[in-house]
Amino acid sequence: MSESIFYFLQQVTNGLTIGSTYALIAIGYTMVYGIIGMINFAHGEVYMMGTYVAFIALAGLSMLGIDNPLLLIGLALMVSIMVASAYGFTIERVAYRPLRSSKRLIALISAIGMSIFLQNYIRLAQGSRDIAMPSLIQGGFLMGDPNGSHIMISYMQIIIMISTVICMVGLTLFITRSRMGRACRACSQDIGMTNLLGINSNNVIAVTFVIGAALAAVAGMLLGLYYGVVNPYIGFMAGLKAFTAAVLGGIGSIPGAMLGGLILGVTESLTAGYLTAEYKDVVAFSLLVLILLFMPSGILGKPEVEKI
Amino acid sequence: MKSMVKKTLIGMGVSAALMAAATAQADIKIAMAGPVSGPVAQYGDMQFIGAEMAIEQINKAGGVNGEKLVGIKYDDACDPKQAVAVANKIVNDGIKFVVGHLCSSSTQPASDIYEDEGVVMITAASTNPDITLQGYKMIFRTIGLDSLQGPVAGRYIAEKAKPKRIAVIHDKQQYGEGIATAVKKTVEDAGLKVVMFEGVTAGDKDFSALVAKLKRNDVDFVYYGGYHPELGLILRQSKELGLNAKFMGPEGVGNKDISAIAGEASEGLLVTLPPSFELDPKNQKLVKAFEMKNQDPSGPFVMPAYAAVQVMADSMKASGSTDAEEVAEHMRKTSFTTPIGDVKFDEKGDLTSFNFVVYNWHADGTKSAAK
Repeated sequence: MSESIFYFLQQVTNGLTIGSTYALIAIGYTMVYGIIGMINFAHGEVYMMGTYVAFIALAGLSMLGIDNPLLLIGLALMVSIMVASAYGFTIERVAYRPLRSSKRLIALISAIGMSIFLQNYIRLAQGSRDIAMPSLIQGGFLMGDPNGSHIMISYMQIIIMISTVICMVGLTLFITRSRMGRACRACSQDIGMTNLLGINSNNVIAVTFVIGAALAAVAGMLLGLYYGVVNPYIGFMAGLKAFTAAVLGGIGSIPGAMLGGLILGVTESLTAGYLTAEYKDVVAFSLLVLILLFMPSGILGKPEVEKI
Repeated sequence: MKSMVKKTLIGMGVSAALMAAATAQADIKIAMAGPVSGPVAQYGDMQFIGAEMAIEQINKAGGVNGEKLVGIKYDDACDPKQAVAVANKIVNDGIKFVVGHLCSSSTQPASDIYEDEGVVMITAASTNPDITLQGYKMIFRTIGLDSLQGPVAGRYIAEKAKPKRIAVIHDKQQYGEGIATAVKKTVEDAGLKVVMFEGVTAGDKDFSALVAKLKRNDVDFVYYGGYHPELGLILRQSKELGLNAKFMGPEGVGNKDISAIAGEASEGLLVTLPPSFELDPKNQKLVKAFEMKNQDPSGPFVMPAYAAVQVMADSMKASGSTDAEEVAEHMRKTSFTTPIGDVKFDEKGDLTSFNFVVYNWHADGTKSAAK
């Protein structure tokens, strides 16, 4: 294989890694939109808090004397998921449920307010400087000639991709096979009718928020370990990218969010690799505009039926 | 009735203010403008302790032409809007000498006001080259420029490091891109080739695509113009993805946080920094004086602020006047011996020479002079 193919594969791998985490965060946007038709702008902050909780848990656990990296990561992941889920549940309860019968715009403003509140709350509680964490998992696989053309995939990148696949498969099984998943799908089709059939839609909505928050916490933990830094502002950009991924794939569609995340990640990586890193956001967002021009409901989204 | 009470109160306030002004007439007031509050207040403190120490020592040695110096703090919170308000207040308070401001973005708008109102201003911290490009007569600085740092780094690369394939990366911001452009120019003038010149987005976290590109271009030396959060991540991801290159950056990357972010990957990073004036043997008496007051003289703006006050006081003494324009004219003509070395201003009001030094950065957050 020639050098340029190796380079292409290397950039695709980098793109898939970052795209996986976009997809994990995008699920939270798309599920909430699919069921109650609102954009939860505070979702990026849940991701940010997931990273903070994971860092605090990692530091606390290693102080207790646990030094096996996999055990550390597993335990910290559990703590992070639990705390983030609790936040997801509480956010819905405090900021969205009381407004559910009001206009959509009001819930949207509440979401923006929640986002500002959470960001500043973390800034006050944890400080606004970057907090760093040493790499727990170092090294990686090297394919090809170490001195010539090769692909380098770090263990962390592999962990990110595998974890994403596990989460996605689990979520798909949950949505398609479980009772609660069926209730979720029913709610997304017609929430009023679902209520009439005896399903407590409040519970379904709460579950949606908890799942979204848990997946955001997984992404937060993984990216936190991968990059090794966190600050209170990472939620904004990550949220924006994930929201873009959700819209790209078709908001409201779970496979669409996965696909959108991967496309966005690979596009960014290839732009940075072949054009210049300066333009990667320009190209990524231009792609969004183009796709929406020709497919207004995203790649896998269902066209909105005009209800009279 | 109510309005009469108000008028009386205002009248009393005005006469009190007049009386205060009358009693303070004998002193020479120096405004110290900078952030007392806000996220960069620790840099403001460096400037304040330096200026206060100079005022204290000058007064102890008999003051200026028999009059005492009085320092008054003004808080601009490193906010351009507040800096304008502070500058107007300083002018209204009748003060003719200002040490400050700190942030370039505050100094720039404030300096317009001082120039128009005939107030001498010396900044001990703002390094943006644009500030002194307006052809002003009253604006000076006792610190180096961003544009000086690039050539120092460029010459080091060309003469000492001698890499084969150089990449210059920046964060697309005024500070980072400016330095990166200067480095590129110096290196190319010395006959070396820059194989990559690219911007990244400040605040970005993923640089794996960039690192892969650096690897593909066989880069063995990377200069980064910007701040530590991005360079820290680039270093960390370069190590993970197996890029073997030497890295270098400006003083914006040279603080302990980069070692926290990049860990071992920060070992051997080259950084250009202002020299450590507190280590100069000639300054040891002054360093003791700071330590007696439990203050830290090692901050980068402490000694420049001291020098700023000293330059003002020396010019007042030599010209025998406290007229701002005469003092400014004298400052432009003469050279001064200060803790930051011999100070001489060029016609723009910048120092004619200010040395940046190349340091080797270590993983534990310390630095040592680079060979």
